[in-house]
Amino acid sequence: MTPDISPADPALASDMVGSWTASSVRVRLACIPDIGRTEPTLEHAPVLEHVRVAADHVLTTLDAPTMASRAEPGQFAMLTVARGGEDSPVLPRPMALYDWDAATGRVDFLYRVFGDGTARMAAWPVGELMTAVGPLGRPFSLAETTASLLLLGRGIGICSLTALAARARARGVAVHAIVSARRPDAIVATDFLERIGATVWPVVDTDGSSDVERLRARLDAQLRDRAVDQVAVCGSERLLRLAAQVGRRLDARVEVSLEARMACGLGYCHGCSTGEKGLASEAPLVCKDGPVFLARAEAIGKAQ
Amino acid sequence: MSTQNAPRRHDYGPDLRVALGPLGLDNPVMPASGCFGPELGSLFDLNRLGAMVTKTIFFGARSGNPAHRLAETPGGMLNSVGIPSRGVDAFVEQILPEYRRWQTPTIVSLGGLSVEEYWDLADRLRGVPGIAALELNVSCPNLEAGGIEMGASPAQVEAVVRGVVDRSTVPVISKLTPNVTSIAEIARASEAGGATAITAVNTLVGMAVDLDTRAPVIGNMVGGLSGPAIKPIALRMVWEVRKAVSIPVIGCGGIARACDALEFLVVGATVVQVGTATFTRPDAMLGVIDGIADYVRDRGLESIRDLIGTLRTDRGAAETAPELTLAASTGHPAQPAPSRSVQR
Repeated sequence: MTPDISPADPALASDMVGSWTASSVRVRLACIPDIGRTEPTLEHAPVLEHVRVAADHVLTTLDAPTMASRAEPGQFAMLTVARGGEDSPVLPRPMALYDWDAATGRVDFLYRVFGDGTARMAAWPVGELMTAVGPLGRPFSLAETTASLLLLGRGIGICSLTALAARARARGVAVHAIVSARRPDAIVATDFLERIGATVWPVVDTDGSSDVERLRARLDAQLRDRAVDQVAVCGSERLLRLAAQVGRRLDARVEVSLEARMACGLGYCHGCSTGEKGLASEAPLVCKDGPVFLARAEAIGKAQ
Repeated sequence: MSTQNAPRRHDYGPDLRVALGPLGLDNPVMPASGCFGPELGSLFDLNRLGAMVTKTIFFGARSGNPAHRLAETPGGMLNSVGIPSRGVDAFVEQILPEYRRWQTPTIVSLGGLSVEEYWDLADRLRGVPGIAALELNVSCPNLEAGGIEMGASPAQVEAVVRGVVDRSTVPVISKLTPNVTSIAEIARASEAGGATAITAVNTLVGMAVDLDTRAPVIGNMVGGLSGPAIKPIALRMVWEVRKAVSIPVIGCGGIARACDALEFLVVGATVVQVGTATFTRPDAMLGVIDGIADYVRDRGLESIRDLIGTLRTDRGAAETAPELTLAASTGHPAQPAPSRSVQR
């Protein structure tokens, strides 16, 4: 299923029909203004360290000072997984910027080892150079007036939200993070989120706590008196739907980070269009017009 | 327009200049259409390229194909992007000016669903400044009509080329599909139509299936295969085209390193295009250029032009097996074969 995108950019005019009609709510996505993007750079970045943070999850640190100096929360990098003497795998992997330090030039990526590309990343010799392009894409926005931020991350999707959480905490914004995964040993980023002072709710499929209706009830109960000004979500269409509904109820701005297969990451290959067939012109690209989009819930029939 | 005697934008040391008819290039390396955009200018100096090639444009706006548009395969990738285009007016007003930030010649790739659409594009672009040449994409495998079907018909290719040549003041390049029985025949049709050069080859039609869903991985069912996996096929086809026509050939297909490019030059390409390798490493073309310069210097050649079309088939090897003879036939038996000695 492709999310329903109504572009703000007239050059990307599109009139897609809602594709999530199974629920009583249709989520429409729109491009956010292209203001926070920073100029990407190509770095031959030494891999500094790998840390296994969960059963299948690794945190890899690159020495990429230019990227670190320009990065904004929600942006990503394209990492070449073919080593110096190799010409394939031909596609670099798009990876969210999990955390970075502009002072030291360190950039962290947290990913699930799943398939050839991520296995190569996790096995990359420390000290060997990796071709890295970034930061890429439009970042999350964080309004000056935002006092409370709700994050919903499913699986590795939480890793697109950590930098936003850190930015928000640095401004004194209250951050509540729902970290959803299949199993307890697939929960990641909670240590990071707790360290920066976020309230973390880990939920998993194995005990039913990640069930979207249970989450909805919990959010309804806990957020009744506590306003949330902004919601950010990544990694799950069901969580996106929930986020959009919560945002609608609380009148909060909702932004979603989408994932897509990419080849260039810059916008010239047009491989990651969100589009359906039969449009008059091309739908937005995840890499260039996203990966962060504004999400709005629209009632269908008797929805809230 | 630059000539072979024009000042060079970058000093490569050795003489790497080549020409496609009247169009002189600083070096024989350019991007393949669809694998390049001015966005790359933030990552490296585009003035170092021999030429720039735009993504294919159509006369009107097109949305392209549904997701997924990409799939990785062993040694390569499938794509079925379907050439989204904002149309020729938006191209002239918004996209082409981006390319003019660099002095590198810009080659504009044209697409069409009919013979007449190419002609209409040529009419519209006639006299537009900043266009060094036109490349006719009569070979896209991902269109609802035209593209590969037109590109498989010698008569239609000749008609497309002749009509554009008649309407244009710049060199016209015909980009051929490998998905034909005889690429030599299509090449001869392009030459007969008045093409200045021929690009060989576009992608090979391929497919991949998701075994969880039993659905094609690519939204459009099939896609074009590119990358190192297709290099031996592309090399063979460039050699066939070289023997069929007397106009310059632009080799394309799986070139990632200088040694790949040098093989194409030896079999008769004057210029090479780098496509998928730019996805793998955005600065791949610079590695190809530097490696070619190293080769020219190390082998003591006067210029890169001395290498073009120097394939030796006189060592008892059959003409049908050119690759087997390549390494041993560069004329420097005391040296290691280029595929091992030339690094990117």
